[in-house]
Amino acid sequence: MSRTDAAGSPESTSEMNIVTAVKETLGQEMRRDERVRLLGYDVGPIGGVYRATEGLHEEFGPERVIDTPLSENGILGTAVGMAMRGERVVVEIQFMGFFYPAFGQFMYTLTKMYERSGGQLEVPLTIRLPYSGGIKASEYHSESTETYLAHTPGVRVVCPSTPYETKGVLAASIRDPDPVIVMEPKSQYRSAREPVPEEEYTLSIDDARIVREGSDLTLLTWGAMVPHAGTAAERVDADVEIVDLRTLSPLDIETILESVRKTGRCVILHEARRTLGLGAELSALLNEYALDRLHAPVKRATGYDVHMPGHTIEEQYLPDAERAQYAIEAVMNYEF
Amino acid sequence: MSQWTERRPSEDFYRVLSPDGSIEGEPPDISAEEMVDLYRSIVRTRIFEDKALSLQRRGELSIAARSRGEEAVAIGSAAALEPDDWCFPSYRQTGALAHWEAPMDRAVAGLMGTEPETIDEHLPVEDPPEVNFTPTYVPLAVNVTNAVGSAMADRFNDRDTVTLSYIGDGSTSQGDFHEALNFAGVYDAPAVTVIQNNQWAISVPAHQQTASETYAQKGEAHGVPHERVDGNDVFAVYEKTREATERARAGEGPGLIECVTYRMVEHNTADEPSVYRNEEEQEYWAERDPLDRLETYLREEGHLNEETIEGIEEEASEDVNGAVRRAREVPTSDPERMFDHHLHTQSWTERHQRGELRAELEGRNPFTDFDGTGLAEKDSSRTDGIDGGEGR
Ligand SMILES: Cc1ncc(C[n+]2csc(CCOP(=O)(O)OP(=O)(O)O)c2C)c(N)n1
Ligand SMILES: [Mg+2]
Repeated sequence: MSRTDAAGSPESTSEMNIVTAVKETLGQEMRRDERVRLLGYDVGPIGGVYRATEGLHEEFGPERVIDTPLSENGILGTAVGMAMRGERVVVEIQFMGFFYPAFGQFMYTLTKMYERSGGQLEVPLTIRLPYSGGIKASEYHSESTETYLAHTPGVRVVCPSTPYETKGVLAASIRDPDPVIVMEPKSQYRSAREPVPEEEYTLSIDDARIVREGSDLTLLTWGAMVPHAGTAAERVDADVEIVDLRTLSPLDIETILESVRKTGRCVILHEARRTLGLGAELSALLNEYALDRLHAPVKRATGYDVHMPGHTIEEQYLPDAERAQYAIEAVMNYEF
Repeated sequence: MSQWTERRPSEDFYRVLSPDGSIEGEPPDISAEEMVDLYRSIVRTRIFEDKALSLQRRGELSIAARSRGEEAVAIGSAAALEPDDWCFPSYRQTGALAHWEAPMDRAVAGLMGTEPETIDEHLPVEDPPEVNFTPTYVPLAVNVTNAVGSAMADRFNDRDTVTLSYIGDGSTSQGDFHEALNFAGVYDAPAVTVIQNNQWAISVPAHQQTASETYAQKGEAHGVPHERVDGNDVFAVYEKTREATERARAGEGPGLIECVTYRMVEHNTADEPSVYRNEEEQEYWAERDPLDRLETYLREEGHLNEETIEGIEEEASEDVNGAVRRAREVPTSDPERMFDHHLHTQSWTERHQRGELRAELEGRNPFTDFDGTGLAEKDSSRTDGIDGGEGR
């Protein structure tokens, strides 16, 4: 498990949030490789609705920063075609809830072309997909439906959780020959801040990240839930190990199993609905490969199996430190 | 910050009422009272939406989208509907709902984020609008395909109702729009689609969205008769929509109407338009305001005067304020409402998770069930609406 592959020296860092980390990385990658092009609507002069592409249209012009017609399926379909011809395309989809019109292209071409061509055609394409609730937005602006993506073979799904992670993971994704979906926790877009190296660097998109070591229980989580995991770990009377999955597909199963074999207990914390959420897969893996080490059943602290509710009650939908804490306590108190 | 260069849409379109309020063509065959109704609906929409904006600024709503300067599109077209017709709006057609007197208090409560079940409980519909409105669609363009399906159902059942739906200039780039028109053409569906071309899709200008000379001509390839009208002329919008709905009602198939208008304000409260467009553009369009020209005309015809205008404005403000007052009295939704209306029967999972949520709200640990018994009682009463539901 590699924490970092490369990093700048302390004097060359600057304070970034996730949005500025995205912007810095996109600029660096575009300067580094002229095949990198951005596609999305509103990504041009205004720099995207989150301002994550701000200044890039001015620097690289309208053929590198391509403000498209308003069609997710059109964007993904043409982006795949460009990638098949060797371009390195980075697509911005405004909200995860608006990815669905592109689902046909996702299933038929993006995730299938490499396999279908017997490895002859690569699709080196990155999709930036802001997800997560907690921003009091309206319908379809708050969802976490990564299951639909991770259920599909032929695509990587990653989810950086901090500005530092974002820069290294996004750069690695753009350089990767496979299609990669980078889920960005938009509830953390501006709240998470930290010093980030100005130099370019990449982080592994194959490995999970141990955020905090512990011996009693493993808390598996990712993205917007990582800060809540940290709070819960502080509050409980147990030594909690937090594993930030970082890559949701394929999973870093070795790190996960190693951690749970060590602690003997596991809670999964995710924002998505529970049924067939990634927690189901994680729990099944532990059942298959680590059952004899478990001191208690695995519990899933998740969203409920409902459509994302209106913003006045989304707080009660969303898992948080409290829900994680309950699950940890229930598992810690369990005796076979 | 770079900005798009402005390109004004051509005025090669159907127009009755000039920007200065004079009549260029044939006014529609409606009574003075109906004309004043159109005026009233624009006023009410404006006051309602401005109120929504101020509530948003005070944190009572999370987001608000206004249609200032574009009201004539929704109002003129919706006015062409008949009772029992269907309307599939997006978030930009408050005016259509206002014109058919959809209850404003429920709309405000919805904008406040209240769950529909809570609204039904506290603000039940006493006097439903005579036209059927679907919930407002947030995902773009999918309403148009649904609307065409609705129209196909009418056609296959030999009913003479028509379905009206709306789409923005940007949203015409979605596949759903073209699929909808194609189906409408193939099945002669009594579906009228209004393109509300307000020149912008958030930051992307309408001329950047398509290489077509007009949006109306997109109907051509699908065999759907089309018109291009001045969308700030409520008479023109009404007249052409009326022609299309009458054709549809008579079994002569679908219609497409491009209404050329302008979004005078922000896309919604999360947007800052000064970043991507300049004010001169707004000045040009301010002179073409739909309300001003209608007011001038109606005053000159003697259908409106200072007093009646004040009356209309006062009544609208009172109604809007009353609606806000009633919406504020609706309590915050019980969080358990989030589980409502997913299926007609209650699954194990639903029961189980309702129990978990209750426990969490009451400060009990929701994860203490290790044998599947669950924390809540089963609700087996929920079989209504199911054929043979008894005993399930
Ligand atoms: C499928 C989908 N993609 C993206 C969005 C986000 N979005 C909301 S409104 C909008 C612009 C729509 O522009 P237009 O169709 O011109 O309608 P207008 O807002 O101008 O009335 C976008 C991109 C969405 N709601 N649905
Ligand atoms: Mg528009």
